[in-house]
Amino acid sequence: MSEVILKDIKKVYENGYVGTHDVNIKIKDKEFIVLVGPSGCGKSTTLRMVAGLEEITDGELYIDGQLMNDVAPKDRDIAMVFQSYALYPQMTVYQNMAFSLELRKLPKDEIDQKVREAAEILGITQFLDRKPAALSGGQRQRVAIGRAMVRDPKVFLMDEPLSNLDAKLRNQMRAEIIKLRQRINTTFMYVTHDQTEAMTLGDRIVIMKDGYVNQIGTPVEVFNKPVNLFVAGFIGMPVMNFFDNCKLLLEDGVYYAEIRGVKFKLSDFQQKALKANGQQACDIIAGIRPQHISVGEGELTAKVEVSEMMGSEYNIHARSHDDEVVMVVPTVGLDTDVSMGATVQFTTEPDLIQLFDKESGNNLIWYDEASVAANEPVCKSYDF
Amino acid sequence: MTNATTAGSKANEGGGKFRNTMLYVRQHWQLYVLFIMPAFLMTIIFRYIPMGGVLIAFEEYNPFRGILGSQWVGLAHFQRFLSSPDFMRYLTNTLKLSVFGLLWGFPAPILLAFLLNRVLSTKLKQKIQLILYMPNFISVIVLCGIVRILLSPTGLINMALGTNWNFMTMPAAFRTIYIASGIWQGAGWGSIIYTAALSNASTDLKEAAVIDGANIIQQIKAVEWPAIKDTVLIQFIMSVGNIMSVGFEKAYALQTDLNLASSEIISTYVYKVGLLDGNYGFSTAVGLFNTVINVILLISMNEIVKRMNDGKGMY
Repeated sequence: MSEVILKDIKKVYENGYVGTHDVNIKIKDKEFIVLVGPSGCGKSTTLRMVAGLEEITDGELYIDGQLMNDVAPKDRDIAMVFQSYALYPQMTVYQNMAFSLELRKLPKDEIDQKVREAAEILGITQFLDRKPAALSGGQRQRVAIGRAMVRDPKVFLMDEPLSNLDAKLRNQMRAEIIKLRQRINTTFMYVTHDQTEAMTLGDRIVIMKDGYVNQIGTPVEVFNKPVNLFVAGFIGMPVMNFFDNCKLLLEDGVYYAEIRGVKFKLSDFQQKALKANGQQACDIIAGIRPQHISVGEGELTAKVEVSEMMGSEYNIHARSHDDEVVMVVPTVGLDTDVSMGATVQFTTEPDLIQLFDKESGNNLIWYDEASVAANEPVCKSYDF
Repeated sequence: MTNATTAGSKANEGGGKFRNTMLYVRQHWQLYVLFIMPAFLMTIIFRYIPMGGVLIAFEEYNPFRGILGSQWVGLAHFQRFLSSPDFMRYLTNTLKLSVFGLLWGFPAPILLAFLLNRVLSTKLKQKIQLILYMPNFISVIVLCGIVRILLSPTGLINMALGTNWNFMTMPAAFRTIYIASGIWQGAGWGSIIYTAALSNASTDLKEAAVIDGANIIQQIKAVEWPAIKDTVLIQFIMSVGNIMSVGFEKAYALQTDLNLASSEIISTYVYKVGLLDGNYGFSTAVGLFNTVINVILLISMNEIVKRMNDGKGMY
């Protein structure tokens, strides 16, 4: 069991700057959790506190049921992979991988066996005698992972490990991390600012902003059930379209979303959820993902400003009144002119419209006040 | 065939780059002249032309007749110096002072830099650095004055020891006084270059070492020493190259008639013979001898270091 529990973890720096506010995360044994958010959101600070590289100002950290606040990093049974690889330049790949084991005074043949096993898994056996300077970025990252692997840690920490790689290599390494995870089967904490990495790697994703956890959930949850505007805007590529100054209407007990004068009768689920929440008519910000827009039908219109042919789909940047609207439209079966300057009609399915309170920015359906109060924000669950 | 073509194209590529660079230089030659000329002239005027003065070492120099008009004596001054009964004493004193100075004085700033690097509070670090750098700005003569006062029979050291020894008259104490005062004055200032080099040590690497379980000594060995190793080696080569160039001022200022047995070194001898006795030819010969040994040491040490350091040396 290598469960990691962060209980009201707070980081306040000497200058008074608060790095994280009462972070609560329960990471299950062998779970792959990804901390994601923009720069300065506190994701790396949180990871570093788990690693023991930053002092925890307040709160409790448990690894495998043991309180770790005052335990030295080397005694936490963790391993960390850094963005910059952090390989000792004067040592060979073998020496780099064996270093921590030598410090633990393990027998030489055991060290050799562990290093060679890890090298075999990562496909770097042929580089064992080379120094890091003679390796490519991807190979160095493999060595960094190998160095962490040989320790056989309870928790594997990764701080933006793919950020220094080019796009192609990043995709390749991402796939390798997924495979690796299946092989070594331990608890992972992974920090990234790249939502694609977060979505593809994580069992659950922790979305952070300004030191606060905004939502914890599976990739599907955070994509389909964002609890607030920030999560909705941060997750998804291209970014969700937000239509300000829209209305949630309640007529004869039926909810409608009014977007630019066009009324959408909300789905049964939305009706039930809003009713359960006792929601009144109000001003809203409506969110529609670019992938959820259908072109060539509906009452909304927009003028195409830029049309990007991506192969299997068009990314259309259009203007509808004062709104910039991005639409992702499959090329197959498209019979509408989406060239620059063309005017297109568009619509969406009502159940794909996200409804955000104009004042608070919270999702009227998915925001869960109780979990937010407990500093463990998740999307609200309904019985129906 | 393919390899040959690749190699050929690479060579062409290299040649092309060189041609482009030369073309660029030719097009903007005025800028290059403007940029290089001051440094070039300074080097010629102040470094190379004075080398002509070396001729004095081979002449019975007479200031009224000038360098070209003085009588040529060949290697006579060198023979006189090398066969003088005091030659070995001067050479030994110089070498002992330099070598011991290097052995004790060279690691001091490095250790200081390692210690400073461990101070986490930036404000405290700055204050410590200020205190450590200050002695460097004391002139050698003032420093020697302080040393003489501290070590006088009624000075602070004797008061602390409850003795009344006159350290300045003890030949056995001279080298220790010279080297210790040098470390006190120069270690802080000398640590600047190492502190700067240490700032290049990757923070991630330090943290990786901490997670790996390295203690402070192991962290220094694995992370910090590699970051400053090249700087240390270059400084070491340069120090070895200057091993015979012990400045005469400090030795002269700490010299007393009773400690001459260990305090008379080549540079104080050159000063006395050349400037006090007016024997310019002889003192230049002694100085040149000193310089030649320095150059030989510099080249030899650089070669040794290159062999030990993957071919990396000063040049």
